[in-house]
Amino acid sequence: MNRMTRTLAALGLALATVGSARAADTVKVGLMAPITGPWASEGQEMKRNVELLAAEQNAKGGLLGKQVEVIVEDDGGDPRTASLAAQRLTTKGVVAVIGTYGSAVTEASQAIFDEADIVQVANGSTAVRLTEKGLKHFFRTCPRDDEQGRVAAAVIQKAGAKRIALLHDNSAYSKGLADEIHAILKAAKANVVFFDALTPKEQDYSTILTKLKTAGPDIVFFTGYYPEAGLLLKQKRQMGWKVPFVGGDAINNPDLVKIAGKEAAAGFRFLSPPVPKDLDTPEAKAYVAAYQKKFGEAPSSIYGVLAGDGFRVVAKAIEGGGSATAPAIRTYLTTQLKDFPGFTGKISFNGKGDRVGELYRVYQVDAAGGFVLQP
Amino acid sequence: MEELVQQLVNGLAVGSIYALIALGYTMVYGVLRLINFAHGDLFTYGAYLGLTLLGSFALQDRLGLAAGLLVLAVMVMGLVAVLGALLERAAYRPLRSSPRLSAVVSALGASIFLQNALMLIYGARYQVYPDILPQTSVEILGLEIPVLRLAVFGVSITMMAVLFLFVQKTRVGTAIRAAAIDQDAARLMGIDVNRVVLLVFVIGPALGGAAGLLVGLYYGQISFTMGWVYGMKAFTAAILGGIGNIPGAMVGGLLLGVVEALGAAYLSHSWKDGIAFFVLILVLIVRPSGLLGERVAEKV
Repeated sequence: MNRMTRTLAALGLALATVGSARAADTVKVGLMAPITGPWASEGQEMKRNVELLAAEQNAKGGLLGKQVEVIVEDDGGDPRTASLAAQRLTTKGVVAVIGTYGSAVTEASQAIFDEADIVQVANGSTAVRLTEKGLKHFFRTCPRDDEQGRVAAAVIQKAGAKRIALLHDNSAYSKGLADEIHAILKAAKANVVFFDALTPKEQDYSTILTKLKTAGPDIVFFTGYYPEAGLLLKQKRQMGWKVPFVGGDAINNPDLVKIAGKEAAAGFRFLSPPVPKDLDTPEAKAYVAAYQKKFGEAPSSIYGVLAGDGFRVVAKAIEGGGSATAPAIRTYLTTQLKDFPGFTGKISFNGKGDRVGELYRVYQVDAAGGFVLQP
Repeated sequence: MEELVQQLVNGLAVGSIYALIALGYTMVYGVLRLINFAHGDLFTYGAYLGLTLLGSFALQDRLGLAAGLLVLAVMVMGLVAVLGALLERAAYRPLRSSPRLSAVVSALGASIFLQNALMLIYGARYQVYPDILPQTSVEILGLEIPVLRLAVFGVSITMMAVLFLFVQKTRVGTAIRAAAIDQDAARLMGIDVNRVVLLVFVIGPALGGAAGLLVGLYYGQISFTMGWVYGMKAFTAAILGGIGNIPGAMVGGLLLGVVEALGAAYLSHSWKDGIAFFVLILVLIVRPSGLLGERVAEKV
């Protein structure tokens, strides 16, 4: 940045501050979500959750006597778009930002928010390194991939598999998780016969399935996202191949069954934080009912609900700390927030900004296409 | 050996789809020297229109599966062709005499517009075709090959052959070829170049729409962004075969599919696209105008 642009930026910031000072009767919370792009369905769900909760909060009198205003920016599920979205949010006087979904996308925005002293609470970004950078203002309501890796390895070993295949899609999240599982399995001297990536957003996965089949695994763990998982299951069935598939937490979306078809999806297992219908606290039940009333359907994605939890911990921190500033929110979240009754279970954060506690469950798709919590 | 044959089949099936889309790129480029970046999105429209028509008319129940699908295909191709013609009128014809870059920017703009319009109409979620096709497979040379896979391949090849004969053997086809060689000379010979351009923007999108329908029927899952990946691959196939050259697009598409499948199978699957583009670069170094492209002296 040269001096000219720096001056302009400072001027812009000053103007923005003046603007927000004049409109200081609201508390501004940003939401950065993939409203368009390949993960648009997740992003739109995030927006619904956060806006619904903000409306509820405002109906209760807002925060510190002020109304909450949600400012939505679209990150398009793309790191470059995300850094621009993040920069726009920093000029709009937000104290905290909820989001976003994909790890690589979140990573592109982290430094921008941290430098601007804005608290960021990501909802779907599970890559380990996001909280290993010593950033002061970064939190996440979703768990980390090393925890998921441990649970995944345990599931694979419990299944008694002798020949294990690991498949990822080369994205930061997917490869990171596959590496975690691989390292644990290797340390346990398990036999990993296949470790490779597919190309996401394609539709024909017969090549990789043929290659997998040739390797002869007796379990396949796919760490990618639900659109690819659905197609893999469908095409696996067309090939007449019966090996069990297991997946990571990015597969938890009802569209999986729609894409794969019920027959092909039946028996598929995946790891996930509990899905909305299995959230059993009174708060969560009331919330799911309110959501159903407003939008005519239950929340379909857990990541939307995790974004909602992100909004609620920020709201709680602003109220509890008595101040809508980033340092106060940060201090409250790391030191005072203990076992907050989130929709997705009790929420506390450690010093790194990671959520504390075990969150992963194992789900299996039943013959009717429902996601059934496994004991 | 069995894996090799299986991968060849996989590659040919995907490649035939690439080829069908590549024809649209190559025909437009042949006549206008324009890369129609919105072509991938017209392909997506084919898939979505197919889904809507399938849902609202249920032709397969009224006319039987084969006849129903045939009528469906004709409807989809017709509608996408109309869309292609509209696109030409709205986005390209006003820029016909502008510098080439303006038309390329207009093409990119049209692509973004079409894609987002689709998202606003249908929503951002993945759409899924109903399962109306039989999921049987046949055994050929000891390989289990889904019948649908053969059908996709057969339909694509048939359409390409018909197009090839049309362009080579009919008067209208001759006019297209003449306009591709030299528009001014063609005009002097009494050919209405505007009509040829319109025709190209009807045939290309119709084939692209048919490819979209095939993809929807076979793979089941469609999304409003899928035109990007297919468009990119088909564009590569068109260049590989020699852009502007119709048989080149067919050869390029099939070759790209096979190279991808074999590269993924025997080298590394993560590098699938890398291998495909590496082959493209090699071909372009040896034959800068593509496999079947003619070496044309630069016009002065």
